[in-house]
Amino acid sequence: MNVERVRAIGARKFASLRRDKRMFGFIVLVPAIQIILFGIAIGQTPHDLDFGFIDESDGSLDGLEVGLRASDALIVHDYDSVEQARAAIEEGEVWGALALTSDARLEIHLDNSNQQVTNTILVEVRNAMEAALAEKGASLPMEIADPVFGERDPSFLDFLAPGIITLVCFMFSVILTSIAFVGERYDGTLDRVFAAGTRPSEVLLGHMGAFSTILIGQVLVVVGISVYGFDIPVNGNPILLFLLALVLGWAAMCLGLLVSSKARSEFQAMQVNMPILFSVLLLSGILWPVEALPGWIQPVSYALPTTWAAEAFRSIMIRGWGLESTGVLTAFAFNAAFALVMLGIAIRTLRVRE
Amino acid sequence: MGLRARLGGSNLRIQRKEGLEIPMATAISLARLHRGYGSGRGRVDVLQDFGMSVDEGSIYGLLGPSGCGKTTLLKVVLGRLVPESGEIAVLGTRPGEAGSPVPGSAVGYSPQEIALYEDLSITETLLFHGRLHGMERDMIVDRQAWLIGFLDLPGGDWQVGKLSGGQKRRVSLAVALLHEPQLLLLDEPTVGVDPELRARIWVHLREIADSGTTVILTTHYIDEAGQADRVGLMRGGKLLAEDAPKALMEPHGHASLEQTFLMLCRRGGGGASE
Repeated sequence: MNVERVRAIGARKFASLRRDKRMFGFIVLVPAIQIILFGIAIGQTPHDLDFGFIDESDGSLDGLEVGLRASDALIVHDYDSVEQARAAIEEGEVWGALALTSDARLEIHLDNSNQQVTNTILVEVRNAMEAALAEKGASLPMEIADPVFGERDPSFLDFLAPGIITLVCFMFSVILTSIAFVGERYDGTLDRVFAAGTRPSEVLLGHMGAFSTILIGQVLVVVGISVYGFDIPVNGNPILLFLLALVLGWAAMCLGLLVSSKARSEFQAMQVNMPILFSVLLLSGILWPVEALPGWIQPVSYALPTTWAAEAFRSIMIRGWGLESTGVLTAFAFNAAFALVMLGIAIRTLRVRE
Repeated sequence: MGLRARLGGSNLRIQRKEGLEIPMATAISLARLHRGYGSGRGRVDVLQDFGMSVDEGSIYGLLGPSGCGKTTLLKVVLGRLVPESGEIAVLGTRPGEAGSPVPGSAVGYSPQEIALYEDLSITETLLFHGRLHGMERDMIVDRQAWLIGFLDLPGGDWQVGKLSGGQKRRVSLAVALLHEPQLLLLDEPTVGVDPELRARIWVHLREIADSGTTVILTTHYIDEAGQADRVGLMRGGKLLAEDAPKALMEPHGHASLEQTFLMLCRRGGGGASE
């Protein structure tokens, strides 16, 4: 291993990356834009939902109506009868309706075509009812105590944000590195580098060095925006988030470099990226819990570095855990090991002598 | 010049006088070499039963049509391609094996493809390759200045991608010459180069050969090959003949290498010799 050669290759790659200034800015900014868009678009609670209300009661639950009308999530429309309200649901005018019956029961009629909307309505109705009962000094026979971790009304974004950090850090590192030197292997430039006595490990480490400077920038931006830009709780140490994102980025980078060592063309490298990124998106517990996957596919999930990272991000952000947690520690160890294994395979794949 | 002295090549100063036979050390010797690509139905044999020998401190010109295996041969000498069978010795070792100076700083290689990073400037390109060879910065800067002048390149800040084809080829040659290697492998170094500059390059190659550097170059230009100490005529992965240019022409009563080559081709390729 010749350190000067590693540095020469790193400096050369970095000079190439920096040459196109607009592209360079793009590379650092796109993850930021991506994570902001995610934060804006996904996981927020639906609002201004049209909702029907029918009051046939004796007025003993007035507090409930006040609560519903005060909610940002709902726009309350009055109906005279349940039949009228159901007709309105059928016409698509409202997402659902609540009837207070003459015998003081609550009856909920729903358009169940959108689960997120239904969930929001049910939560709003429950909250309004609890408030109305509390006003009378009564309560439901069930009580949800203060949560051990997380907020009283967790939003989907709280669950999703750690997953999105995982996805963005992983995706950009793979995409950036997977075409790193596919071209060089076929246009003769790598022949020339090898002719100087350079070893594959030196080529790969040099590239890692150059890409790491970009990775650090990307990770700072992504973690910074997630922690300080979104309305999500961060109970753990932000520095730990940053470090884990970095190790995850390296795992992705080494995978990308392996693709780059093996692919016959840049087109082929991009084609290989697709299933990798799709599996990561669907199997890492980013959008949906791993616990919900069929048992036979779960081993695949636990072979992905992103599964461990997403869970650890969640633990750090919501549970406020640190390195004393086995899960968080495992995420660091697994990602580092994954990076080393991928790098090792890449070194064996990229051969000086053919 | 210091590098060459360190590598011990300079004690072999050879006087090239007519009729005077001085035994020379052999820089490269290949025998019964086979190398192809792929296997099964997609199998292509490139080098077949190939043999050649190149003296230290000489210029060897490889002449042959494209596709005859010249580039494959250079890559085998370079240790980039491993021969499937046969014997090979480059600077006394098998290239690519532990302890061999090839690949490494003992060799300068200029591939047939331009093979330069288009987004780097000329100085950045030379700095990069100089660092790969572990050269001192001062040394790199000195050599840069000399090579840019010698090869008539525009300013060092020019981006390689914006140069003309001929200029790029000269930068490629500059990279090979940069660290003053003991062995130069030049794959068509003079394509698209101005005749005046081509003459200058040949003068330089002769100078460094006289001080001990071994040069192998491939070319399409038959008259250019005539300036080499030895010429190998290559076709279909075989060496048809190998000798000094004059020796190749005279026995056949030909006035040019072209005629000799043509005659050898007509004779049917394989294993032709004097």
